[in-house]
Amino acid sequence: MDLTLFLQQFLNGLSIGSVYAIFALGYTLVFSILGIINFAHGAVFTLGAYFTYALMGGAFGFNGLLANARIPVQLPFAVALILGSTLAGLVGVMVERVAFLPLRRRNSDPLLTVVSSLGAAVAIANIIQYLVGAEIYTFPANTYGNLPAAINFGTADQQIPIRTVQIVIFVVAVAIVSLLTYLINFTKFGKAMQAVAEDATTSSLLGIDTDRYIVLTFFVSSFLAGLAGSLVGSSVSIAGPYFGIAFGLKGLAVIVLGGLGSIPGAVLGGFMIGLVEAFVPGDFSAYKDAVAFAILFVMLLVRPQGLFGRRLIEKV
Amino acid sequence: MGTFFTTYGFLIVSMLLGAMLGLSLYLPLMTGQLSLASPGFYALGGYIAAILSTTVFQQTGGLFPLPLLLVEMIIAGAVSGLLGILVGVPALRLRGIYLAIATIAFVEILRVLSLNLDITGGAVGIFGIPQPFGTPIDYLWIVLPLLLVSMAILYRLERIRVGRAFAAIRADELAADAIGINPTFYKVLAFTLGAILAGVVGAVSAHFLNTWNARQGTFDAGIIYLTSVLIGGSRTFVGSVLGGMVFTALPEVLRGMATIQGLPVWLAQFLRDGRLIIFGLLIVVGTIFFPQGLVTPELLKRWRKGDRTSV
Repeated sequence: MDLTLFLQQFLNGLSIGSVYAIFALGYTLVFSILGIINFAHGAVFTLGAYFTYALMGGAFGFNGLLANARIPVQLPFAVALILGSTLAGLVGVMVERVAFLPLRRRNSDPLLTVVSSLGAAVAIANIIQYLVGAEIYTFPANTYGNLPAAINFGTADQQIPIRTVQIVIFVVAVAIVSLLTYLINFTKFGKAMQAVAEDATTSSLLGIDTDRYIVLTFFVSSFLAGLAGSLVGSSVSIAGPYFGIAFGLKGLAVIVLGGLGSIPGAVLGGFMIGLVEAFVPGDFSAYKDAVAFAILFVMLLVRPQGLFGRRLIEKV
Repeated sequence: MGTFFTTYGFLIVSMLLGAMLGLSLYLPLMTGQLSLASPGFYALGGYIAAILSTTVFQQTGGLFPLPLLLVEMIIAGAVSGLLGILVGVPALRLRGIYLAIATIAFVEILRVLSLNLDITGGAVGIFGIPQPFGTPIDYLWIVLPLLLVSMAILYRLERIRVGRAFAAIRADELAADAIGINPTFYKVLAFTLGAILAGVVGAVSAHFLNTWNARQGTFDAGIIYLTSVLIGGSRTFVGSVLGGMVFTALPEVLRGMATIQGLPVWLAQFLRDGRLIIFGLLIVVGTIFFPQGLVTPELLKRWRKGDRTSV
C-alpha cells in the first residue's frame, strides 16, 4: 500500500472511529453507573438523526403518519445538531423512567433490565417507522454551509482529498471527549457521578441524590447517541428506523474492547475499530462488518475485562 | 374446524416452532447462562437443510420425501451441536452480560458470512426449497412430535441428576463446583443441547418457509425469543413453551384484531401498522410486572394440587 492510500484510509478510519467513540462514550457512561448495557442506545442514536434532520427543515416521505410533513423553521446544521441531540437526550431520560427506574425500585435481576431496554428499543424503532416510514433520508446538500466539499491534504500530483464532513466529525469528537473528560474529573457533577458509579448505596447515604445523577447520566449518554446519529446521518444518510440497531451492536464491540465502563477505553476502542475497518482490504470489504465482532470475540476470550477494564471480582 | 386449520395452519405451525426456539434459549438458561446464540444455530440448521435439499437431495416433481427431511434434521442437529461445543468451551468461561455479548458477536459473524458466501446464495438467499407436505398445517406431522419429544426430554431432564446439576450451577456456580459438580461440563452440555434443538428447528423451518436467507436468525430474532422465555417464565420449561407460542402469535393476533368491524379507523390502522410498538411496550411492562415470568414453578405446583388447596 503506498503512502497516499495509507494516509487516506488512516484519515477515513479516524473519522469513522470518532463517531464510534462518541457513541460508545454514551454506552459506557450508563454501564459505569448502573452496570447494565442500555440496548435502547442504538434506537436513540437513530432518533437523534431524525430529530436533527427534521429541525433542518427536512421533509418526510409518503409513508407513515407524518407523510409530507415538515417543521416550518429551517435551522442551520450546527443549531439543529445541538437541539436534535438534546431531544434525543430527553428521550433517553424517558427510557430511564419507563424501562429502568421501575426495575431498579424492585431490585430486579439485571438481566430483566437488559430485556426491558431491548423492549424500549423495539418500541422506539417501530414508532419511528409508524411516523415517518422506512425510507432512507438524505441530509440537505448544504448541510455544512459554504465549506468546500473536500479538502486536499496532498500535493498537486499526490492528492489526498478528505471530505469536509469527516473533518467536522473528527473535530466534534475531540471537543466532546475533552469536554466530557473535564466534566467527569473536575466538576462536582463528575465527582458525584464517580461516587455513584463506585457504590450507589453508600453515596446515597452520604447525601448524594443518586436518582438525579442516574437521570443526568442518561441524558448525557443519550445526547451523545443523538449526536453520533446525526453525524453519521449527515455523512452518509439515515438508513431507516433500524439504522441504529447494527450500529448499537458495533458499539458493544467498541466498549468491550476498551473495557466496559471505561471512558478512555471507549475512545481508544472507537478509534481502533474505526481504523481496523478502514484498513480491511477492498477484496474483503464485504466482511468488514464481521471484523469488529471477530475482534470482540477474541478480546472476550483473551481479556474479558477489555483494555482498560477492571478485573472482574468474583463474589464468593 | 377444517377451515380453521387451513386459515390458521401457518400460524399454528409457526407457534410450535417458536415454542421450540424458546426451549433452545431456555436450555443454557437452566445453568444460568444468558446466551443469544440460538438464532445463529437456527440459521445454520436452515442453511444446511436448504443447501442439501436444493443440491444434494435434488428431486424432480412430487413432494420432498420425509426420510430425507429427517436425515437433514439429524445432520443439522449434529453440525450445530459440534459448533456448539466448539464455541461453548471457550465462550462459557464468560458470565452474564459478557457471555450475552460474545454470543451476539457469534451470531453477527455467522450472519455476515451467510451474506457473502456463494454457497448460501448471498443476500438473496436460497429459493424454492422443496416441500415435504402439501399444506402448511400438514407440517404438524413433524413439528408436533418434535415439540412433544423436546418437552418430554426437558420434563425428564429437570428431574434427573443432570437437571439437578444444572439447577445447582444456576443457583450458585461456586458452591456447585465445591460439592463436586463440574460446571464447565454441564454448562457446555446445556449450551450444546440448545444448539442442537435450534439447528433441528432451523432445518424444518427452511422447508416450511420455502426460502432461507440471512434475515433468518438475526439479533432481532434473538431478542424475541429471549423475551418469550423471560416473560413466559424462565424457571420452568413450560413457561418457555407458552412464551414462545404467545410471542410468535402476538403480532399476527394484533393484525387480526385490526380487521374487527366497527373499530375507529385510527385504532385499526395502529393495530395493523403499529403492532410492533405494542410488542415492544409489552416487553417493557412484562419485565416490570412479571419479573419471574407468567408461568412459575409455584404456579404449576398450585395447578397440580388443584382443588385440595383451593378449598
